[in-house]
Amino acid sequence: MGQQSSGEAKSLQKMSASSIQIEAPDPGDVPLPPEFRIAVYENLILQIEKTGKFQHVYRSGDKNAANVSDLVTLHTRARAFTEGSQKKREVTTVMGATSLTVNVRITDHVGQSIVDRDIKGKVVLMGENLGATYDFSKKVAKIVRDTF
Amino acid sequence: MNIQNLKVDLAATTDLCRAGRHLGARRLSLLVVNASLMLSPVLAHAQAADIPRVAGGEVLQVQVQLIVGGQSIKNNSKGTLSVVGSSLQLEADGKKVLVDASSILDISTDKDSRQDITGAAHLAAEAIPYGGSRVLSLFSHQIDVLTVEFRDTNAAYHGAVFAMAKGNAAPFRKQLVALGAKTTAPPAGLAPEKK
Repeated sequence: MGQQSSGEAKSLQKMSASSIQIEAPDPGDVPLPPEFRIAVYENLILQIEKTGKFQHVYRSGDKNAANVSDLVTLHTRARAFTEGSQKKREVTTVMGATSLTVNVRITDHVGQSIVDRDIKGKVVLMGENLGATYDFSKKVAKIVRDTF
Repeated sequence: MNIQNLKVDLAATTDLCRAGRHLGARRLSLLVVNASLMLSPVLAHAQAADIPRVAGGEVLQVQVQLIVGGQSIKNNSKGTLSVVGSSLQLEADGKKVLVDASSILDISTDKDSRQDITGAAHLAAEAIPYGGSRVLSLFSHQIDVLTVEFRDTNAAYHGAVFAMAKGNAAPFRKQLVALGAKTTAPPAGLAPEKK
């Protein structure tokens, strides 16, 4: 009693990596408009930089990431998307929500999954439709803070 | 926003002032403050709705709001987007970002809508009891959204999204494609309008 099992200890143990590379979002079969795809990517980069967990946050394709031995990679793939309407949201308060669900997978340098979760971003009342991508990226940043 | 609409708005303000004569001085001052708060975004919108300028087919320039992806320029900054030589240039907050057309992987246009009443006036309107503020939400206008995807000199992938007055995105896309930018979107132009 009082001792943690190895599984619990592992879940509490934080990973460490000097750098992360953010891959461009994969829209999959979801009709995700280009502005949402880009807003997901750019907001993710901003929010993960803000966590301060990594010395470098590399963009997809950056040649400088090739020689980093402990690089982790963040992959995103769209699962669902509903584009609402700012006008409907603010007029009715119950309709017009924008939401997107994206699978977030973080892999280590050998490709093994560290995180594999579906995350939902949404804007329900106030704000523009693209705000859903900001909400999503904030949630991913929290997962990164909890993991690293 | 064109001059005709602006005239209508100003006429509405005059009517408000006439109505104010029958009210107390305090009420009148409140009306004037409210009207000016409500009109300020409308006037700003009128300024932003400049059509792209084309001089000798070389320079295209329009006022935009950077939604995301301006690198050293903060998100939501307002600035000038132009095509200068063979590059797309964003100038805002005293900074410039240049993207060579040949490095653009994809460029697309879309439509969206924005509220005319924003900032302090929007917050004040939200305080109107019994859902009265919802009427103000009907004041919105259509905008164009321009999305640009490109690689920098390290092959790192970037994206930028700009909001601009309706009708301005397509000329940018057309000119950048002519200068060597790639695009996957059909050449027919803008996507169907969203409600």
